[in-house]
Amino acid sequence: MVSRKLIVALFIITAISQLAVPAKMIFDREDIMAEGKDYKFKTEPIDPSDPFRGKYITLRFEEDQFEVQDLEIWERGEPIYLELESDDNGFSKIKSVAKSKPLNSGDFLKAMVRYAHGTNSEKLTIQFPFDRYYMEESKAFAAEQAYVDALNDTSQITYALVAIKDGESVLKDVLINGVPIKEIAKARAENSK
Amino acid sequence: MKILKDLLELQKENVISQETATSIIKYYESQKGNTTNRLILVFGILGAILIGLGLILILAHNWDELPRLLKTSLAFIPLIISQGLCLYGLLKKQDNAVWVESSSTLLFFTIGASIALVAQIYNIPGNTASFLFTWMILSLPVIYLLRSSITAILFVSGITYYACHTGYWNYPSEGKIEYWALFAMVLPHYYLLYKNKPKSNFMTILNWLIPISVIITLGTIGRSSEYILAIAYFSLFGLLYLIGDSEFFSSQSARINGYKSLGATGMISLLLIYSFDEFWEHLRRRDLIFSEIVATPEFVASIIISILALVLFIIQIKKESVKNIKPLSPLFLIFIMVFILGLFSNLSVVIINLIVFSLGILTIKEGAKLDNLRILNHGLLLITILVVCRFFDTDLSFILRGALFVFVGIGFFATNYWMLKKRKSNG
Repeated sequence: MVSRKLIVALFIITAISQLAVPAKMIFDREDIMAEGKDYKFKTEPIDPSDPFRGKYITLRFEEDQFEVQDLEIWERGEPIYLELESDDNGFSKIKSVAKSKPLNSGDFLKAMVRYAHGTNSEKLTIQFPFDRYYMEESKAFAAEQAYVDALNDTSQITYALVAIKDGESVLKDVLINGVPIKEIAKARAENSK
Repeated sequence: MKILKDLLELQKENVISQETATSIIKYYESQKGNTTNRLILVFGILGAILIGLGLILILAHNWDELPRLLKTSLAFIPLIISQGLCLYGLLKKQDNAVWVESSSTLLFFTIGASIALVAQIYNIPGNTASFLFTWMILSLPVIYLLRSSITAILFVSGITYYACHTGYWNYPSEGKIEYWALFAMVLPHYYLLYKNKPKSNFMTILNWLIPISVIITLGTIGRSSEYILAIAYFSLFGLLYLIGDSEFFSSQSARINGYKSLGATGMISLLLIYSFDEFWEHLRRRDLIFSEIVATPEFVASIIISILALVLFIIQIKKESVKNIKPLSPLFLIFIMVFILGLFSNLSVVIINLIVFSLGILTIKEGAKLDNLRILNHGLLLITILVVCRFFDTDLSFILRGALFVFVGIGFFATNYWMLKKRKSNG
């Protein structure tokens, strides 16, 4: 018989590790948000819901393809590193794609290959690690509407504000013409009442 | 209770002594206590599952108005509370199964909830595989420290979902070894349960869940040479059947013995599938190069499972005389030979049909010997299904197919009639 004390001690260790996992997640993200550099990614949208994590909007990015020379060496689901640069309006663009961490540049993002099999063009489609923006249940629909409207209206610019540090990223906000989508959704939800 | 009245009468008529009557009553009363306990246990667990799932849903609302810091702290509260309940159970209520099982159920769900909530707050995209993996790893110690069987059941369900997610629904498939490692880690608990509470309901659930989990997951191990998987699956069903036929399980009712039912059903279903020529035709057409196959996980799995089944089979032969060996027990060995033969010749499909037919006949014979209409009709049913399968093979002439049906139909009537008549004359 294992002693009661040992079991309790082991349970406490278990409990601490159960707390440590979400705590570590929080710590990492807070660190990226505090110390990372902000980038803006222009987006396109959609609203499914995840039964575990509530409502979110799925973001699609304008800059989600990149032309490469030898398509065969890239595999679906493979991690890749994107070197980033800014265009004239301050939105992020992909400068280059690599299989390993760029050593000389600080402006890079870890992402994944979504597709590598182009039929008519030699392009990689990239899966960004921040394609979900979670909303409060009651606001998700209004947010989605606002998002769709903004996308149909070419004069409006929607983008994701992302903090990046050492390739790791946190999606901080989604904005339409510089206004956070949560505020737009809130206003819309109140207007429709 | 009806039995009490009967007991009084039996006692009055001096069929049983008063002593016997009292001990019978005592026995029934102790059983009654057990059922109430069991009910409380079931409701305790159900309640904990509902609360756990409810918490996940409430948290999923994503309270926008709350500041991030508060939201992140809230993510921990359910987890800390359920940890506290478990700790209290460990310290003060160790023998209270209701407390231990309910609080560990709650803990299981709140572990998942807290990770999911943090993922939501920071918009971490849905990597379901790593989420499930972390969740299961963190739940694993609860099974052993609290001796919680419900956690073991949830754990097996969770890792099976994980294996399907990584193996079937995702490309490229990953995490093959992880499932088997996690699976191995739950087995000691299963063994302890078998040693300490072989008749408990948890044991019964695991007797079904564990083989089902392996059956589902075996298909994820490889896709490059899936033909070899036929052997892996057949030997797996053979292995399950042999486990179900072992000393411990064979004395149990079919409800408890998931191994035997799943093994027998699995083998017979596979035989029926392979009684069509399609599989064998494809097999012959493919140039299977031995040196290439040897390294595939399918091949390795087939070998391991077949060896395990063989060991069990040898143990069984040593214990019982060869005469008592059930026809399904050595079937996996025969299938391996038929499979190898199938690589070179088209005889295999004929042999498979003959095997199914003989299984049907043997079952009918056994039913007749045991005077059991259920077994007898199972045998007839098997032959009927075989005939129906052949009905779809268009290369048999209509006359032949028709004759087969009439023949089996007459067989149904004749055997049942004969058996009932025999019973009447005996009775």
